[in-house]
Order: sequence, then C-alpha cells, then structure tokens
Amino acid sequence: MKPSIIISWIAQLVAVVIMGQSLYFKFTAHPASVAIFTDIGMEPYGRILIGVIELIACLLLLRSSSAHYGALLGLGTMAGAVVGHFTQIGWDGERGELGILALVVLASCAIVLYIRRMDLPFISHALKESEKG
Amino acid sequence: MSAKIAIDLHKLAKTVNIAIPTLAVLFFLAGWKLSFYFHFGTVTFILLTLLNLFYTRIQSGHTLLRNFGIMGQARYMMESIGPELRQYFFANDTEERPFDRNARSEVYRKAKNIDSAASFGSQNEFDETEIKIRHSMYPVLHSEQVPFSLTFGEERGIENAYTVKRPFIISAMSYGALGEHAVRALARGARQAGIPMNTGEGGHPKYHLMEGCDLIFQLGTAKFGARNEDGTLDDSKLAALASQDSIKMVEIKLSQGAKPGKGGLLPKEKITDEIAELRGVSKDKDVLSPPFHPECVGPQNTVSFIKRVQDLTKLPVGIKLCLGRPAQFEELVVEMLTQNIFPDWITVDGAEGGTGAAPKAFIDGVGMPLYPALKLVNDILTKHGVRDRLKLLASGKLISPEKQMVALCLGADAIYSARGFMLALGCIQALQCGNNTCPIGITTHDPELQRGLDIAVKSTRVVNYVDNLEHDLEELLSAAGCRSTRELSYDHLFVPVGANLGAMPPQSSSTSSSSSSSIFA
Repeated sequence: MKPSIIISWIAQLVAVVIMGQSLYFKFTAHPASVAIFTDIGMEPYGRILIGVIELIACLLLLRSSSAHYGALLGLGTMAGAVVGHFTQIGWDGERGELGILALVVLASCAIVLYIRRMDLPFISHALKESEKG
Repeated sequence: MSAKIAIDLHKLAKTVNIAIPTLAVLFFLAGWKLSFYFHFGTVTFILLTLLNLFYTRIQSGHTLLRNFGIMGQARYMMESIGPELRQYFFANDTEERPFDRNARSEVYRKAKNIDSAASFGSQNEFDETEIKIRHSMYPVLHSEQVPFSLTFGEERGIENAYTVKRPFIISAMSYGALGEHAVRALARGARQAGIPMNTGEGGHPKYHLMEGCDLIFQLGTAKFGARNEDGTLDDSKLAALASQDSIKMVEIKLSQGAKPGKGGLLPKEKITDEIAELRGVSKDKDVLSPPFHPECVGPQNTVSFIKRVQDLTKLPVGIKLCLGRPAQFEELVVEMLTQNIFPDWITVDGAEGGTGAAPKAFIDGVGMPLYPALKLVNDILTKHGVRDRLKLLASGKLISPEKQMVALCLGADAIYSARGFMLALGCIQALQCGNNTCPIGITTHDPELQRGLDIAVKSTRVVNYVDNLEHDLEELLSAAGCRSTRELSYDHLFVPVGANLGAMPPQSSSTSSSSSSSIFA
C-alpha cells in the first residue's frame, strides 16, 4: 500500500470516529446537542437531518471506493458547522471543543479529498491535464 | 441575424461565474439572519466557488474550463454521455458501427430463441453494391440435405484428424481479453452446442479447459503458454499442451484482422496477477506481442515452421492471417507446393474483424476486408491446384446467416465468429473492451461487473444462437438449391459492379518472384 493511501486511511478513521461519536449525542437527543440545535433554530428535524448526513458520510468514508464522496460530504457538513460556530453557536466552553473537533474533521476530510482527488468524477480529468504539464 | 433572442453562451458563463460567489454570500446572510437551513446553500456555493477558481485560475490543461469555468464543464459532461444518448435515442437502426441495431437485435433474438420474422420490407438500403445470394428456381427439400461434416487433417491422413459437425467455430478470444465468466459461458455453450472454440493467444487456457469443450489452441506471435525467454517456441511446452484431451487443433496466428502487421495488445488495466502468471509477463505495462513470429521471416521458414508444429503436436495445424499483399500469399502457396507441406487449414481474417484492442490507425486503415480477401485466397489456392489440400475458414463480422452464406459461397468451409458470440452473451456494444469497464461483464475482470453474467443462462444463449444460425443457413442452402455447403460457389452470388469484390484493380507485385503468373497482375 502506498504511504499516501495509509495517510488517507488514518484521516478517514479520524473523521469517522469524531463524527460517529457525535451521532450518539444527536440521535439520543442529548441536552447539549439539543441546546445547540435550538440556538440555530433547527431542532429537532435539523438535528436528525444533520445526523443522517453525517452517518452517510461515515459509511462512505469506510470504503476505499467511496471514501472521496464521504470526504466531500463530511467537508460540506463540517464547513456548515464551522459557519455555525462563527455566527450563532460561539466558542464558549464545551462548544469551543466541539468547534475544534469540527475543524479537525474538516481538515481530515480535506486531506482525504486531496489524496484521493483522482477518484473524483470530472474534476480528476482537469487535474490530470494540469499535473502533466 | 436574430441574435437578440439567441442564448449567448459566453455571457451566460460569465454571469454564472459571478453568480456563484454572490449566491454563496447571499445564502450566508440568509442562513445567519433567517434560518440556519440556508447554510446548506452557503456550503454548496462556497465549494462551487473554490472549484470554479481552480478551473479558471489554476488548471491550464483545458482551455474551455480556464475561460468559462463550471459552465465549460457542461460540454465535457454532456459529451461524455454522448455515446449512450446516441445509442438510446438518436442513432437510427442501421447506422451504428461496427454492428447496427438491426444486426445486433438479430443475434439477440437468435440467442433468446425469439422469432425474427420482419414485415414491410428490408431496412437495408437496397442499393446496387450489396452482395446478395442467388436462389434457385428449384429449391432443395430439407430432407434431401446432407448433414454438414468437415474433417481437419484428413488430407494428411493423420491419426488425430478432427471432425466438426456444424459449420461454426467460436473465434479466438483469450482469457485476459475476456473475463472468467465470459470464457466459461462460451466454453460451456460450445460444449453443449458441439462446436469447437479457439483459445486466443492468452497462454495456458485455464478457464477454456474448465468446461470440457473442444479447443483450438492459438499460438500467437508472443507464443504465450509455449514460449522461451527470447520469445521463440518452446517445443516441450507446446507438446505438453497439445497432449491435453480437450485441445484438438492448433492455430498459428500470423496476423489478425483488427491489427494486421501488429502483434496482440493487452492493456495494463486488464492485467491481473493471474493473467501475468498464465502469460509469463509483467502486470505494470501493456502486454505487446511482436508483429511476427521470429521463426517466420520468409515463405520458406514459415512453411517449415508449420511443419515443425504439425510434427510436434501431431494435431491438425492451421494458420490465421489477414490478407495484405496477395502476391506474398501466392509466394507462400508456391513454397508450400515446393516443400509439399500444407497447413490443415487457413483462416482468412477480414480487416473489419477484431475483438482485440488495437491502435485506431490499424483498426480503421490496414488490411483487406474479408470478402475480397477470401475470394483471392480461394482463387490463388485453386489456381495452383491445391484447394483440396486444406480447409478454408473465414472470419470478420460474420454474425448473421446471410453474411456467413456469402463467405461460404466465396470458398469458406466453415465460419469463425467472436463478436457474434459476444453479442449472444448479451454484449451491448458499449465499446469499452479495452478499459476493464465492460458493463455486461464480458471483457472485464472486475468481479462486480462479472457478477451479472450468469454462466448457466448465457451458455444456453450460445447454444440457441448456434441452433438458429444453423437453421437459417439450412433454409438459405435449400433456397440456393444446394444439398450441402460444399455445393456453394461464386455462381450463387449476385455481385454488383460496385461491390467491393468488383473493385479489385490489377496490382503490381514487385516483391513477388511469381508476379508474371499472378492472377491479378
């Protein structure tokens, strides 16, 4: 296995573990989670919706043939989370920790996406052409 | 010019490129002040903005993307599904290549045992260049027909002469070119239909052997399965292969219709560990066979090589070639006469032939098409009085009975087909044979794609196809007033002046010593 693929797998697992454990709080309606989603006006459906999206991202990240799609989905969701922290959620106490975790997942997904960029449909062709030159 | 109501694609692209980041900002504001749900849009448009920046500012391989960004991508996206759209909606039933929908559907119907009667006339253009069969005023009853039988090697009186009872042979397709499921479905079908199958030049025919059908082992120019390190023939390996019960004949491939003058090509996308082992090659680069056998560099040693393989294998041995310069072929025949050594058959492969991957210039532009080549070969053999010393096989798009009938009239004793049988397996002509992405799992080693190809079901299709071809051929034979295929001759054909058979101008044959006596000089 190429070193870059090993790095990708580490990043995938980091993203899956962090997103995965947050699902438990989302799906069991943990008070902290409910509080955050109440703050941004998405409780309860938004909480479930985001949970489902993250679950799909986790599952996609666990197969090498679909990891790039999982990373894309994870990247999008975490970008949303970071936007939330900067606008409505804030960074106080536990929320700051959650925000840092979101940034970690965002970075992990970006790494996976970069390493597996040639798997992406359409974009990979443009990448190939420019990397050749 | 009614330019005012036309869409200006340039302006549209520029507008879109401005709209994407603008929308990202607007969605952000809406997500912040109205509802967090708007941030789904924020994220999407931020990503699109980044992508667009990459296209227009960073990459430089594609001009359209650099000038127009994501909108330029639309062209590539739509172009990429063009072949499918054309096949589904826009191409008419007689214009696709290499096989139009009518021709393909005919094979599907035969393979699925569906009646293929049509009404209201032919869809072909009844112009004046199409070769037709001339029927007799006095057709022969089916009961009067003589069953087909063809014995290879009978001319030499060898012990292992091999008899086929039906005029069809599955043409050379290696494991490597085809996946395991396809090879096994064809081999099982061949066994059930009682016809032989050519192994192709894929080395030890592991999967062909699994189903117990009669096999013709093909010795390609790289001699996979029977090669020394330097690419010459390893006598003991070939003898060992030939001693296998299932291997009934050996075919030396001199050249091939898909790429006459070039050797075989197996793209590296399709080379698995197993294939590399069966062929004895590396899996990191395309496998290229040499364009000719190192043993065969002129008529004399080509004929000697045929003799060597005949002596070694004690089986009927044929040669396969795509006709290039007829004068060179005539030289070869003269040499056969001189040495009194003949192959047990000659396969004439038309330049239109080819399951194989090949450079486009060779697929499109090199070699003689089947009909004129077959006629020339038959004429040359007849002229030298040696037509009865060997059998003649024909291959090259012979997937329908009327085409096969024409080949039989032009001198063929039996018919080789590869793509006909691939279509019987369900090939949809996706043209991906070289990419390992065949959507029906025939020319791929991807287990997920092969999963859909059920060996038991598809082998029955092969049998049905053979049964129905034979039925149609018998009907055509009756109509032509013949009791067996041996009675067919050039006289049974209507060959218009514009047909390619009529378009063979005299050719100079500067390389030939016997040019003065050449029938086409």
